Amino acid sequence: MSYLKLENVKKVYNNKVTAVDNFNLEIEKGEFIAFLGPSGCGKTTTLRMIAGLESVTHGDITLEGKSIVGLTPRERGISMIFQSYAVWPHMTVYENVAYALKLRKLKKADIDEVVQDVAKTTDIVQYLNRYPSQLSGGQRQRVAVARAIAVKPKLFLMDEPLSNLDAKLRVSMRTDLKRIHQNVKSTSIFVTHDQSEALSLADRIVVMNHGVIEQIGTANEIYHESETMFIAKFIGSPASNFFVVNVILEDGEVYLVHDDFKVQFNGQEKDVLIKNYLDKSVVLSIRPENFTVNKGGFIKAKAKIIEPQGSHIIINTDIGGEEIKIVSDLLELESGENILLGFNDKVLLFDSETEKRIK
Amino acid sequence: MLEKGHVKEIIKSPYLLLVPALLFYLIFWFVPVATSLYESFTTISGKVGLNNFILVLQDSLFLDAFVNTLIFALLSLLLQFALALGIAVLVNQNFKGSKLFLFVILIPMALPPSAIGILWNTGLVESGWINSFLATSGIQNVLEALGILKGPTLWKAVSGLEAVMTLIIIDTWTVMPSVMIIILAGLQNFNEEYKEAAQIFGATKWQAFRDVVIPIIKPSIVTALLLRLISGLQVWLIGVMLFGFNNVPFLVERIVYYTDKVRTATNSYKMANAYSIFTLGHVFTVAFLFLRVTKDKKEGAK
Repeated sequence: MSYLKLENVKKVYNNKVTAVDNFNLEIEKGEFIAFLGPSGCGKTTTLRMIAGLESVTHGDITLEGKSIVGLTPRERGISMIFQSYAVWPHMTVYENVAYALKLRKLKKADIDEVVQDVAKTTDIVQYLNRYPSQLSGGQRQRVAVARAIAVKPKLFLMDEPLSNLDAKLRVSMRTDLKRIHQNVKSTSIFVTHDQSEALSLADRIVVMNHGVIEQIGTANEIYHESETMFIAKFIGSPASNFFVVNVILEDGEVYLVHDDFKVQFNGQEKDVLIKNYLDKSVVLSIRPENFTVNKGGFIKAKAKIIEPQGSHIIINTDIGGEEIKIVSDLLELESGENILLGFNDKVLLFDSETEKRIK
Repeated sequence: MLEKGHVKEIIKSPYLLLVPALLFYLIFWFVPVATSLYESFTTISGKVGLNNFILVLQDSLFLDAFVNTLIFALLSLLLQFALALGIAVLVNQNFKGSKLFLFVILIPMALPPSAIGILWNTGLVESGWINSFLATSGIQNVLEALGILKGPTLWKAVSGLEAVMTLIIIDTWTVMPSVMIIILAGLQNFNEEYKEAAQIFGATKWQAFRDVVIPIIKPSIVTALLLRLISGLQVWLIGVMLFGFNNVPFLVERIVYYTDKVRTATNSYKMANAYSIFTLGHVFTVAFLFLRVTKDKKEGAK
């Protein structure tokens, strides 16, 4: 039985705006889950419904087999890190961490033990007597983490916890969060709009768009086996490239035909293409690193702009009027050069109407 | 003679920018206070001493004025704080029609003191709007049937503490909105995540309010209450408008009385000045005590 289960969860604001719809998710104990999506996709609303800060319009949420819908936040045994950290400014770091324990009427000595312990874990021992205003953003973030793990929650919720930090700190905090997660083995849900955070932190990622789940899967599944065009477009930097191609059958072989190229297709989707998509157009999606450059390709193009990234370059080119981005290790390539492109078999095909993957 | 460079330095000096404000304070603040101080410590014959203050202490209404002022300031402060906080929290819920509600609540703030005096005068007289409201709404009959009232109430036929209470209620009606609006501003700047965090970490709604909301908006509350406390200590006009001079004495009412009403004796002018200085000290002391009590325990931290 799953640890946390969301069944057909729906949230409607003011009887008209549907923020989340048909949300189904099962989480195992100890898992690290990320809710990923553009702003306004309903990821934070879902998190707040789990926390009890937002009511559930329809559906059920169960934790350890018991429904928590209708319980107040304090009755749910959860903890949360907020986007603004919400570290109380009028309390010292020590008081911030100890507040929840005081409310539970723990003995002073026991509270002290827990506070010292989590302060060590989060590396804030030397700040315990300071006020939040005397701390930097990263230190405040640590206080929020310390406060959240001190209560030994059943669920550890994080609402864009890294978005207020500068880029460098964000990456190191990310590693810290993962380390802390591995140490305390808490079941965690992490909301973010930053794909690199989701990909690097989560065991499984829930990609959301317009209030519904697009796909649930590991980082690899989501990146290499994107279920929808939205995900292929949203995940990856640069994102996937799309070509509208026609499917034709010649001498028993399937060909994908584009204005600028024609290529034989031998992927596992071949049978489905013959069955449903002959003489129709489909969308071919190719990740930037799945192109081959000047290695016996079949698409002639010109490298318009080269963006050096140190370890690799990003080539901007133009195929059939579409802007295409290619990741290549040909560091010597210069803009304006003619290139010959091909691509490997790690391509995805999407139905051009439903935008769902053909498989 | 000043050297050229030196003159330039003076002109460039930032202190020069303070001159207009300094002049304003000198003329409109320092001169009157200094005059008042001088007048209060000298007799008509020019003898320096505490003579005027002794006269003040011997004023048969001094003690009443002192006690009434304190009761008025403290009780109206408590009542206005409780009401203002409650209403500010209510308006901050953003319920349907809360904007209109806020507008209606703020109306008394727009009325000048004399209009308020007239408004309540017409209400408190025997055939005023308060009694006619009670009669037409039937409340009068109910109260009479219960034996609480016998005939129309004579609201203005009160004295002492009852009169002070009446004034506290009217003052609250008048100025509570200004306290409320400052607290509301504090609440609207309040980051809801602080409260939500408290609730997540085990606080009930009330505990979250007491332990997190109130301490965080405390600067707004202290500011609002300090302003109210000071003007509460300076009450006089509404008391005079409703009950006349000498009936419900306050410290500032005494100042006005001895300045304006008793012109014949030169002594009275001296007494008014002594009353002024006394009130000044009184306001300073109470405000200082208030700030001490409400001071944050965290020193140096922002």
